[in-house]
Amino acid sequence: MKIVVLLSAGRHRVSGQPAPVPVELQALRLAVELGGEVTVLHAGPELGALADALGHGVGRLIHRVIADGDDPLPSLMAALTDNPPDLILAGRSGQGGEDAGLLPYSLARALGRPILADAAGLSAGPEAGTLAVEQALPRGARRRVVLRLPAIVTVHPAAPAPLPFAFAAMRRGVIESAPGISAPQAVEVEERPYRPRPKLIAKAAAGASAAERLKAATQAAGGGGTLLVDPSPEEAARAILAHLAALGLRRDG
Amino acid sequence: MTRQRRDPRAEERQQLVAGTLRRRLDRTQRAAVAAPVIAAAPVTVTEAAPRLRVIAEPAYLVAVVPDAPGGRLTPHDRQVIGAARLLADAGGGAVLALVETPSDEFGAAGIDRVLALPVAGYDPEGKAEAVAAVLDGLSLRHALFPDSADGGDLARRVAALSGEALFAGAENLSPKAVTRAARARKAEQRRAPPRLIALAADAVAPHAGTRHEAAMLAFTFPPRAPGAVLAAEFIPADPARVSLAEAEFVVSAGNGISDFDAFRALATALNATPGASRMVCDAGLMPRAAQVGASGTVLTANCYFALGIAGAPQHLQGITGCEHVVAVNTDLHAAMIERAGLAIVADAQQVMPALLRLLAGEDA
Amino acid sequence: MIPAGTAFSLLILALAALAAGLVARRVRLWKSGSEARLVSAVGRTISAVSADKLIAGLKALPRRYLVDVHHVVGRDPYAARMHALAAGGLLGGSLLALAGLIPVLGMSRLFWAVVALAFAAALAGGFMVGRRRLPEKPARLSGGRFQRLPLYLAAYTGGGLLVALAGVLPPLAPQALLASFGWLGLALAAGGGIGLVLQIDRGPMRHAFAGAAHLVLHPRPGRFEGERATALAALDLDAPRLGAATPADFPVNRLIGFDACIQCGRCETACPAFAAGQPLNPKRLIQDLAAAIEPNATNAAYAGSPYPNARPVAGVGGPALPLVGAGAMIHPDTLWSCTTCRACVEECPMMIEHVDAIVDLRRYQTLELGALPLKAAPPLMELRYADETAGRPLAARTDFAAGLTLPLISARPAEKGPAEVLLWLGEGAYELRYGRTLRALVTLLLKAGVDFAVLGPEERDCGDLARRLGDEATFQRLARANIATLARYSFTRILTADPHALHALRNEYRAFGGEYEVVHHTAFLDELAASGRLTLGALGQARVTYHDPCYLGRYNGEIDAPRRLLDRLGLERLEMERSGKRSMCCGGGGGAPVSDIEGERRIPDIRMGQATATGAAIVAVACPQCSAMLEGVTGERPEVADIAELVLMAVEAAKLPAAQVLA
Ligand SMILES: Cc1cc2nc3c(=O)[nH]c(=O)nc-3n(C[C@H](O)[C@H](O)[C@H](O)COP(=O)(O)OP(=O)(O)OC[C@H]3O[C@@H](n4cnc5c(N)ncnc54)[C@H](O)[C@@H]3O)c2cc1C
Ligand code: SF4
Ligand code: SF4
Repeated sequence: MKIVVLLSAGRHRVSGQPAPVPVELQALRLAVELGGEVTVLHAGPELGALADALGHGVGRLIHRVIADGDDPLPSLMAALTDNPPDLILAGRSGQGGEDAGLLPYSLARALGRPILADAAGLSAGPEAGTLAVEQALPRGARRRVVLRLPAIVTVHPAAPAPLPFAFAAMRRGVIESAPGISAPQAVEVEERPYRPRPKLIAKAAAGASAAERLKAATQAAGGGGTLLVDPSPEEAARAILAHLAALGLRRDG
Repeated sequence: MTRQRRDPRAEERQQLVAGTLRRRLDRTQRAAVAAPVIAAAPVTVTEAAPRLRVIAEPAYLVAVVPDAPGGRLTPHDRQVIGAARLLADAGGGAVLALVETPSDEFGAAGIDRVLALPVAGYDPEGKAEAVAAVLDGLSLRHALFPDSADGGDLARRVAALSGEALFAGAENLSPKAVTRAARARKAEQRRAPPRLIALAADAVAPHAGTRHEAAMLAFTFPPRAPGAVLAAEFIPADPARVSLAEAEFVVSAGNGISDFDAFRALATALNATPGASRMVCDAGLMPRAAQVGASGTVLTANCYFALGIAGAPQHLQGITGCEHVVAVNTDLHAAMIERAGLAIVADAQQVMPALLRLLAGEDA
Repeated sequence: MIPAGTAFSLLILALAALAAGLVARRVRLWKSGSEARLVSAVGRTISAVSADKLIAGLKALPRRYLVDVHHVVGRDPYAARMHALAAGGLLGGSLLALAGLIPVLGMSRLFWAVVALAFAAALAGGFMVGRRRLPEKPARLSGGRFQRLPLYLAAYTGGGLLVALAGVLPPLAPQALLASFGWLGLALAAGGGIGLVLQIDRGPMRHAFAGAAHLVLHPRPGRFEGERATALAALDLDAPRLGAATPADFPVNRLIGFDACIQCGRCETACPAFAAGQPLNPKRLIQDLAAAIEPNATNAAYAGSPYPNARPVAGVGGPALPLVGAGAMIHPDTLWSCTTCRACVEECPMMIEHVDAIVDLRRYQTLELGALPLKAAPPLMELRYADETAGRPLAARTDFAAGLTLPLISARPAEKGPAEVLLWLGEGAYELRYGRTLRALVTLLLKAGVDFAVLGPEERDCGDLARRLGDEATFQRLARANIATLARYSFTRILTADPHALHALRNEYRAFGGEYEVVHHTAFLDELAASGRLTLGALGQARVTYHDPCYLGRYNGEIDAPRRLLDRLGLERLEMERSGKRSMCCGGGGGAPVSDIEGERRIPDIRMGQATATGAAIVAVACPQCSAMLEGVTGERPEVADIAELVLMAVEAAKLPAAQVLA
């Protein structure tokens, strides 16, 4: 199977230094473990830290050089139609750029391929030309999906951790650089330094369940905790269950 | 609770304008179809019923596409509806919900119109095509999605299909502007609300105050070709098996626990994922995979219930992300007691059986 | 001339020839290694292949042997006497007996009396070897060929003694009896001698010539010049292969080092990972490395204690075959169990460098294969993109000091000139517990009026963790970045409370051009107290025991200042069973806490047990790792307090009117 893993120009979540996006490295691991011929692809002005992907289990990186601010889609399209892969993997959403995670969808649309989100595991499907995807849903639920190839799959952070970085493997990896397609993008958004806002304290809306109202009430009252010293075991148990119910963790306690 | 199953296709047939080539929708018929659905639902609102607000002639439509698993709105869905109301009420618009399974909750949640999407099984692309058809067919001014796992996926599919700009991960919304974090939360992007918006959780307050009609609409959807998904099977999260890192609710035992049968029974009865401190795993009383902490698993759970755990720094590192902590410890000065929202200074060995008794009584 | 005597001399000649053949075979095996290299005290590597280096080594051999080796051997007086008698007697007797071929000597009764004396000494040594192993062999000693050593020794030296006596006694005993005495001795000596010589190839006798060669070509000659010589060798990141995968990747002189091991097991008894039941035994590791240099090697001949809870391995190897892996000689868990505490190196009478070998093997695993323990990869990833092991903001490093004045060196007015000290905060600054220690230290600096400053957000991780985990690329990047930052500021000394940072900055940055005077906070506070800049009160009669951090004591030889400082506090200081340069590790070094290799016990629990045994109420520590590891011990135990915290208490006690201020 031919697999291409898309890399986006990421930044470290705290330091802001250029860095590969962890979930894309996780995608790379899924690809490597699925087996076949794996390459990574990036369209952007420069590789920088993205060359480190070569230290995470893949030997070949294709770089399409485009100007800063160019839409990477046409360049990626061109690189992917040259030698169409069976499977394209991408991260769930980038980290550092637009962070919108729209690109895989636009690419799927442009290539006329189906897309499936949030893979936590990949294996060969029941028939040739199919892929079994374990899709991560919130809180540990899963959906097992069988998908016809070729397809694009995005990867979820619940996938196994990236293969550890090997410096020498990175050094040995092959980078194929070629000019991409210039596609200036209209900038519609205004950008300024990030300003953290306090998270909304969920006010219980009319029509919310009793549990939700209580939850909202306890959150609003949050801050100082409740302390019970030497209650009887029964008292303690009742207090705990009431608290858990208030958090919505009991079947309507 | 019994609820009348509705047949979206039959309703749609009723609303068809006869004699036209393209299937078209007659909005004047909505009330007639919607009425029996609402009437069938038992309303149990304890407060004085909020005022019903009817928007008979909306200037425009703002759609929300809630996740609404099984027709029940999630808190995130309600926030999206709240956001949609902001956008609708700024100019006399109405809020339209596009859902797979309509239910009785929508009116109170702030929905004026409801449209059922023809989706069978797990077919996100089919759903996206249906939403895109409505976007176009009803000239929606905005369509809002929860930026959740499925909702976020759907929003991006609709954006790709329609070629409309999507503002994903919106963290702040007003009729004038939406904002979101970008560049690894170093920058904030801001623009006028575009047609498609996916809203982050806990960003906008849910709607409150008025009740809305939630009148059913009908719409003629284009036929759907089979998609690439050949099979899909939902595997619910089993708290006993789910990986600690993903668990929602973890109950954890430390050195202060000696009866591990009771502990395991308690975890099962509470529907929680069992965890442990390193002391307990070192002693082989719980598997290594259950270890919470710096050298074990770092949790994302919403609630952590610690029994007989001192709260060493390396252990606390594993629960920094837990919003709610409940602790039972005999030592008033244990760090875990300090960390907990509900802290109980008591013998966990006795609290466990009391909890089990109480839970068993509840079930009986 | 006695016939048996001549025959004996000829026998020795023959044995010597046989030995030479076996040595030559072993030397050929050594040649599979890469070019011999020497490591300077600061970790620079140079070729050892030059005539003058060889001559210098040869010239230094007697002193290295008699002074340095005996300094270590002498810690076990029984072993020292045993070795002096056995080795001295055996070598002396044999060389003398060889001289018996010279007719004048061969005829001399006096000569044979001297020979007899030598062999008698050797025989006594042989008995001591036997008595140590019989009837029951201590666990740290190897069995198998090693268990036969006393027999061969007794036979050879006893035989030699008989032959020599046959030369001494002629006038006193009948000729025929003496002749049969002599021939019996010869037979015995031949049997024992052949046994001994064959042990040159695979048995205990190998250590004799490999040990001598190792002393001549020792990879860290600085150790014999009184240097601590503990900085890891800087790796050339452009080399075709990074780290060691096979025996052939080790320089020749390091392979010789492995062969020098006498399997005395001193390293084994010192090793904290071994004591904790983790799958590491430094002695077995060295033996696996030595065994692997033969083609079609197996680990079957080893007869010492195993790796505790050994993970299964194929146990096969060869000069060009991989050393590490389930299909090779050494399981990866063995490699990652090491805390790099150097206790093994400190104890080894053959001056073998275990830690260098382990780090070279780790370098290959990390840099070439990316084969790291599960939990060790994420901190290295964070270091790569955030210069900090947990990806925390560099600016948050100073959060511990909220409310204290912590002058930034970047904000220092130029007219103030160089800062007296630059305070390097280290990784511990992010930890709540260690933050208290740093607050105490900063408070003391302020009280003493020390002109200090910190780098603040410009301080990156020092790279210690990355380097010990084998990620030399990240270490070198961090070292260069920190050196570039430090170059922009002027200060007289660097002060740090973290011995790992101290070692990196003081010793390991030199290979990259960073030369600083670095002082540990215990030495610095001792200076402040000695010069009267800090006035200390007495802390009452509390009993305290001091835990030496490996990177301060063994790596840097600093064991006196902390004790002197503690003694100034008026505390009753008790010593643990292991202390000073022979102290036991807390388990916190070498990335062991992140590798977290499963054992039977936790190293800090063992160490805390030793502290408790002293009856002390306080364990004084001087390192963030030690503090974290020992604080992690549960149950009834002494309090853990950094020396800075104790000193601050004493300074505050000095101000109390009722306090008893020490003169
Ligand atoms: C490098 C390193 C990494 C570590 N990583 C981890 C890690 O990932 N996870 C982890 O958990 N630890 C870790 N530790 C160990 C940590 O420091 C503590 O030793 C450990 O968390 C203590 O476990 P505990 O709270 O269960 O035990 P204890 O410290 O023994 O505490 C038991 C607690 O139970 C209370 N208690 C006793 N009896 C009862 C009773 N009948 N009812 C109620 N309460 C009772 C006591 O008051 C006490 O507070 C690490 C340590 C180090 C050095
Ligand atoms: S350095 Fe320490 S842990 Fe490593 S082998 Fe030597 S004694 Fe054991
Ligand atoms: S390595 Fe050194 S200390 Fe260890 S057994 Fe061999 S000679 Fe003894």
